[in-house]
Amino acid sequence: MVSRHILRALDRIQLTIILAILGIPIVWIFMLAFKSRTEVASLPPKLIFTPTLENFVELFNRNDFLHATINSMIVASGSTVLGIVLGVPAAFAISWHRMSWPATITLFARMAPGTLFLLPWLIMFTKLGLVGSHLVLILTHAAITLPVVIWVLLPYMDALPRELVESAQIDGARQDQILRLVAIPVVSGGMVVAAILSFVFSWNYFVFALVLSGIRTKTAIVASFNFIGEGVTNWGALMAAAVIIALPPLILTLLIQKRLVGGLASGAVKG
Amino acid sequence: MRTSSKNVLAGYHWMAAPAMVFTIGMIGFPIGYAIWLSLSNVPPGGDPVFIGLENYARLVKDPEFWNALKLTVSLYAMSLSMQLVLGTWLGLLLGRSRAAQGLTRVILVSPFMLPPVVVGMMAIVILDPSFGIANWLLAQIGLPPGLWLSDPKTVLFTFAVLDTWQWTPFVALIVMGGYLSLPAEVFEAVELDGATSFQRFWHVTLPLLGPTLVTAAVLRSVDILRFFDVIYLTTQGGPGNSSTTLNILAYRRGFEFFDFGYASAIMITLSAVVFGSVLIFSKLRAAVAW
Repeated sequence: MVSRHILRALDRIQLTIILAILGIPIVWIFMLAFKSRTEVASLPPKLIFTPTLENFVELFNRNDFLHATINSMIVASGSTVLGIVLGVPAAFAISWHRMSWPATITLFARMAPGTLFLLPWLIMFTKLGLVGSHLVLILTHAAITLPVVIWVLLPYMDALPRELVESAQIDGARQDQILRLVAIPVVSGGMVVAAILSFVFSWNYFVFALVLSGIRTKTAIVASFNFIGEGVTNWGALMAAAVIIALPPLILTLLIQKRLVGGLASGAVKG
Repeated sequence: MRTSSKNVLAGYHWMAAPAMVFTIGMIGFPIGYAIWLSLSNVPPGGDPVFIGLENYARLVKDPEFWNALKLTVSLYAMSLSMQLVLGTWLGLLLGRSRAAQGLTRVILVSPFMLPPVVVGMMAIVILDPSFGIANWLLAQIGLPPGLWLSDPKTVLFTFAVLDTWQWTPFVALIVMGGYLSLPAEVFEAVELDGATSFQRFWHVTLPLLGPTLVTAAVLRSVDILRFFDVIYLTTQGGPGNSSTTLNILAYRRGFEFFDFGYASAIMITLSAVVFGSVLIFSKLRAAVAW
């Protein structure tokens, strides 16, 4: 019995060490973001300090970071909505008819490097005059969100009892009513997971906006990248930018923690 | 009355049509176009001219390409093996102690939900050779400072460590899920046999976790082979060419040198590497199934 106690204590020690390694760097960037300019790079580090907002003030004043954050909101929300609007009916149809081709095609989108799409897109959207618009970012980010929505929703759609749909058909419900009134309420939990993952993936995505955004449509991620040259000498503001772009994904995923890993891994099992 | 309601209600296929049109336009067409570009010479501002396999022939003779392929594969080997080993260790730890709740779970999921760009920014500040906390901590325990991303010899390993930091908890949570769904009788049986805990792990737990580990490996392979953001943010492939992986090389050829045809050939090759790794793992999955 004693040995079991010791083993359990050893487990706790290992776990504590791992959690420290995972958590401390994140806490660290949050701390630096709230340190004054003189304290931010001082070694040994000051663990007790008076938090200040001067880094955030500087970031927003000097770099139009607010505008970039709004752009990110527009792009991430837009591509999430587009992914849901296209993906929910598609997931229903794919699951109902056990179609396999859409899953295969969207799997390509998940496996191919993003840079593969960028050159064709740049040529296509330059011809269409869309480069630098919000629309081009929403469309290209939806190429990320649509597969996520379909893959996350498929298991939920598969679990939808077929009798439910069939009895609604017998009652004379139209197909769109069946989707809206029968299927969607049952899979709404999955839709929340799909929407949150889509938003986070789109928010976090770097390289599409790096190439296809314009000065007015830069996302917060790209603005942070552009800020690095300056941020090398201004760590406080750099970390303030990191905090701003890290917060939405961290907060949103708190809401779906239990289903997060399942959502991220969906598709891999069949693939 | 509705006639032939069967026919009216026969198919929901049309509901997949908008997604299909989008997929063809935004994913299918660009892939085809990229293949076409890889078979073309694209003069700046001009139209692509078909040149057959010339870009690929150039690729095979380009030492930069082979260097990039080598870097991609070694980054992949280092990252994947560290994540699988540490992820299995952590996953079993979490499964045994049922600890993935509350704050622990928050800490576990936070790294892999961060934008990769934030991981890059973190690396710039924490791993700064002169002012970073990492070297200061090493000095406190009497170890020599590291140059991390500034040294061609350590840069790739540093990226592997960063990716391992970010994604090990994800692998661990998958492993934990697999472990907790294993039948309890198996463990009771080996317990009675008096097996040591290492024997139990090596001969029972690990083989049973095979399919779970393959799933985790597939998911991580796809991401690691395409690893881009953190490199582009920090070293942009340097120092020298020491972290110019295939993805970085392709990006630079395409968007810094505007050599669209050649860049596309590199990207197609990288895609083939990714698909190849997924194929190998799906064969492996059949082999480890129980």
